[in-house]
Amino acid sequence: MSEKPITILYIDDEEHNLHSFKASFRKQYDITVASSVVEAEEILENNDFCIILADQRMPIMTGVQFFEKIRTKYPKPIRILITGHTDIGAAIDAINKGEVFRFIDKPWDYNYVENAISHAYDIYKTREDLKQRNVELQKANEELDKFVYSASHDLRAPLMSVLGIVNLALLEDDIKSQNEYLELIRQSVKKLDTFIINIIDYYKNARGVPVVTDISFEELVTEVQATIQYLPEYGNLKMTTDIDQDGVFQSDVMKLRIIFNNLINNAIKFQDKTKPNQFVHLKIKSTPKAAKIIVEDNGYGIKESDQDKIFKMFYRAGATNSGSGIGLYIVHEAIAKLGGEISVSSKVGEGSIFEVNIPSIHK
Amino acid sequence: MKPLLHFFLIDDSAFDLFIYEKLLIKSGITNSVKTFNSARDALKHLITQADILPESIILLDLQMPDMNGFEFIDEFDHLPVMLQEKIRIFMLSSTIDTRDIDKAKASQHIIDLLPKPLEISTLKKKLGI
Repeated sequence: MSEKPITILYIDDEEHNLHSFKASFRKQYDITVASSVVEAEEILENNDFCIILADQRMPIMTGVQFFEKIRTKYPKPIRILITGHTDIGAAIDAINKGEVFRFIDKPWDYNYVENAISHAYDIYKTREDLKQRNVELQKANEELDKFVYSASHDLRAPLMSVLGIVNLALLEDDIKSQNEYLELIRQSVKKLDTFIINIIDYYKNARGVPVVTDISFEELVTEVQATIQYLPEYGNLKMTTDIDQDGVFQSDVMKLRIIFNNLINNAIKFQDKTKPNQFVHLKIKSTPKAAKIIVEDNGYGIKESDQDKIFKMFYRAGATNSGSGIGLYIVHEAIAKLGGEISVSSKVGEGSIFEVNIPSIHK
Repeated sequence: MKPLLHFFLIDDSAFDLFIYEKLLIKSGITNSVKTFNSARDALKHLITQADILPESIILLDLQMPDMNGFEFIDEFDHLPVMLQEKIRIFMLSSTIDTRDIDKAKASQHIIDLLPKPLEISTLKKKLGI
């Protein structure tokens, strides 16, 4: 049985039918009864049902007429008609006008009704699942569309910059200034390369099979530090680490590397060079259950209005020195995949603190 | 001889600001280029300088954080007509997205969308010089 009980609305003008139905099925289903179509319509205004059962012979309108009337306004519930007199005309109308799923003969038999309800619910569930899938698919398509749009920009823009520099260099007679142009080309190519690496990281994170191993934060941090300290942006920044690992922590090293790389790179990239002592402080506290990672800097800081948006795909905060807006999105996705959380507290002019909490994954 | 044109470059990429400022000056088309790495800052500048602003040409990037090229155009639309009349806007972008291209073509404030990298000969042709 599913978690949520099957909701049923049963309409019959004969009260004793309603009572006996309720008495037979109330333990299995969530049943609402109505003794008239008017009452049923009022109930439908505010309640959702998986299945509606209606008696055919009722005053005001027949069960088929009732179904025909409500069908367009409430298309979701599956309709079942209960009838004591099988006349072929009513049967044809029931199928063509009321789009009834099943007939139940009066007096009804417990097993037959249960069977009809269970089949009706299968159809209801399948339709709802399909609808849900469609919504998800549409969302995925929109994201893909946005992804292709932004990615094509981020792939093309640095290339066009290089082409622009080349065009300019060709106009230059002074050979000495060529080195300056080459340096610009180098930076532009580097930017493109970073973006491509990010895209690959994103893909690996989204589609790749996670590889869970024992993590040594000490080793991981040393590895990440080795790749960043020669960055031209590194400057006079002081990076300190405080790693306290107690026991075995297991996780996907690939995702952790993505997380560390992006957070530390950002802290370096957005340092405030006007301050005398730029720093990045990395603090890790790891137990066999969970790890807390804190990356603190005294850089530019992030505007409050941007703080809830920086983890969105391709969102770029601020105009200076900003990247493609994919780094923190990948970080967010990676942490979500590891079952963890990330939060940021930041003040413009003072700096930012990113806090990551992730549970250990046990093999 | 015609007086030289005054240019504004609006682009979040420091590379592109550098390249196109140099290229414009080298081409002899202008000797006055002002650069902005934020469309919002550029807009503020236009408003505060409205009275003394010379006839100008804006080369406007499309994809920028905070305020993008089209959002800049939406704001530009609300500026006083006497200020708008002093300014001619070209969009300068590496986009190859047809929706962007159509949108730029449909805008009454954008003369044309020029592809990056900027070709001076194309710009001259569009300006009729």
